Amino acid sequence: MKRYLEYLIEWIIKGCGFISAFIVLMIVLFLFKEGISFLNSSPLEKNYGLFVSVNNPVRKLTDLQIKNIFDKKITNWSQLGWRNDSIRTIDINNIESIFTKEQLGTNYEYLSICINHYIDSIPGTLAFFSERLLSISSGTKEIEVDKISLWSFLSGEEWFPTAKPASIMGTLPLLLGTLIVSFFAILFALPLGLAASIYLAEIADERIRKILKPIIELLSGIPSVVYGFFGLVVIVPFLQRVFHLAVGETALAGSILLAIMALPTIITVSEDAIRTCPRAMKEASLALGASHWQTIWKVILPYASSGITAASILGIGRAIGETMAVLMVTGNAATIPHGLLQPVRTIPATIAAELGEAPYGGLHFKSLFALACMLFLITMLTNIIAERISAKRKLS
Amino acid sequence: MSYKIETRNVDLYYGDFHALKNVSMQITPKTVTALIGPSGCGKSTFLRLFNRMNDLIEGVKIKGDILIDNKDIYKIKTTEVDQLRRNTGMVFQKPNPFPKSIFENVAYGLRVNGIHDRKKIEEQVEKSLKQAALWEEVKDKLKKSAFEISGGQQQRLCIARALAVEPEVLLMDEPASALDPISTSKIEELIYELKNNFTILIVTHNMQQASRVSDFTGFFLLGDLVEFDKTKKIFTNPVKQQTENYITGRFG
Repeated sequence: MKRYLEYLIEWIIKGCGFISAFIVLMIVLFLFKEGISFLNSSPLEKNYGLFVSVNNPVRKLTDLQIKNIFDKKITNWSQLGWRNDSIRTIDINNIESIFTKEQLGTNYEYLSICINHYIDSIPGTLAFFSERLLSISSGTKEIEVDKISLWSFLSGEEWFPTAKPASIMGTLPLLLGTLIVSFFAILFALPLGLAASIYLAEIADERIRKILKPIIELLSGIPSVVYGFFGLVVIVPFLQRVFHLAVGETALAGSILLAIMALPTIITVSEDAIRTCPRAMKEASLALGASHWQTIWKVILPYASSGITAASILGIGRAIGETMAVLMVTGNAATIPHGLLQPVRTIPATIAAELGEAPYGGLHFKSLFALACMLFLITMLTNIIAERISAKRKLS
Repeated sequence: MSYKIETRNVDLYYGDFHALKNVSMQITPKTVTALIGPSGCGKSTFLRLFNRMNDLIEGVKIKGDILIDNKDIYKIKTTEVDQLRRNTGMVFQKPNPFPKSIFENVAYGLRVNGIHDRKKIEEQVEKSLKQAALWEEVKDKLKKSAFEISGGQQQRLCIARALAVEPEVLLMDEPASALDPISTSKIEELIYELKNNFTILIVTHNMQQASRVSDFTGFFLLGDLVEFDKTKKIFTNPVKQQTENYITGRFG
């Protein structure tokens, strides 16, 4: 009887293990499937096309060129390698100012004729219409649009996923935003955290340690939205005043906030690492006439260095993945940051802010998944590095 | 005759626990003194008096006089404690090299004591490693981590490390208890050599070791120094019954 019970328990535990591992694996697969599927698709809306005269030698346009044309930043075909002729854009928004309702028909049944005619008579026309509405005649051709490539996704300098007619999906500003905020966060947090952990592990007497340690551990339990609120109410106005900024919501605000949030992790993990230094090793140093500080600096810290590195990488991981607090204080401007005192937007903040507005299954939606993949890879990399370093410590 | 180390009526308490009871001992320069006794008898505590390692433990109270070169080492300024510890090298029970290279381990004591002249450090490292009978084995891998050599070599490295700062007294807390017999005999030979230059106190659980290496032996029991005499006398003709019981293996 007892044996069967143990057998059953073993199976249940095994099953739970498999199920949870399976779920995690499925989530990762789903993430990557969604994220990768959008590569190689057209940045135009589905079933839409750009049409020009057959006489127009321009065969291909990039997403950025399309955006600039419709934003009136590119106004002449000569800028795109054709003759000196101004670009006339025509789409569903301005069609009714060119043709009358009667000409178009009540259900746009004459739309094709009108557009084809318009393109024939004005060769500089660029028409953006649904392929369902428009059947092209011999005088009209469809222009190719550059597909979204991995390279353009990673290196594009502009992020306008909702731009019409073509979305611009360059994630460089988001990636740089994430990196700059995280980098400075760790730059602020590491010296502070290290000092605090040395103090706790080596200098503070037992009574103070017993009070301080739980307080610091408590810090990691505060929900990030509360941190964000604190940042918004305290740090942002403070920075605005100190640096005389128009807006205080900057990369610096995010870095400071993330530094505060990463501190508990850094302090507790590196304090543990410092405390693993054997008593005999400390005594050996002191017995040689080294002072307490020399012992800390030359023996204890080198001994704990791998643990401290792991602590800072865990802190970085937390900083990179943090969403809510950063979203609240960094200003969310998806531009390439040129300094700490500018608004930036991080990858997780982008996902959180835009996912609600992105149509399900659409290009924008999928691009957010691709961002999530990127984030996943970055944090996985930091975790792997942390694992490696702490494994090395165990070996020695 | 003047003694290198002298304790007069030393009592030591860990909180309420009376760990050393009225211990008086005189140690002649350039001799080896073995401290024996069952676990928890206070012999390690006694050893750690002389470089004030007991200070690191909270709640320690010490009474009586503890003199090295006729100077009470518990009446010096706190700034002089580092100097005292430099003059009394210590070797611990388990090899405890620093997470540094072999060279840096030996050089450590010199560096923390303000010696930065590269040439002097190199000379001193070589000299100390030779004194510790380790030079031949490690001279080609000084840059390697100290964790890469064997336990016995590590322990001799720790001895070299202690010797590098040129102490006058060497305190050894069961230096061979974690080692195999071959490494142990090397350490014992080494102690025999070192006696010419240092005053050595060694705590040991190994009776044979005590009788082999030491000139004097002190037997501790429950914080009392039961008997202290020439090793030969202690092992052949002890005065106290307890001593005889212990060294003949009837308890302990």
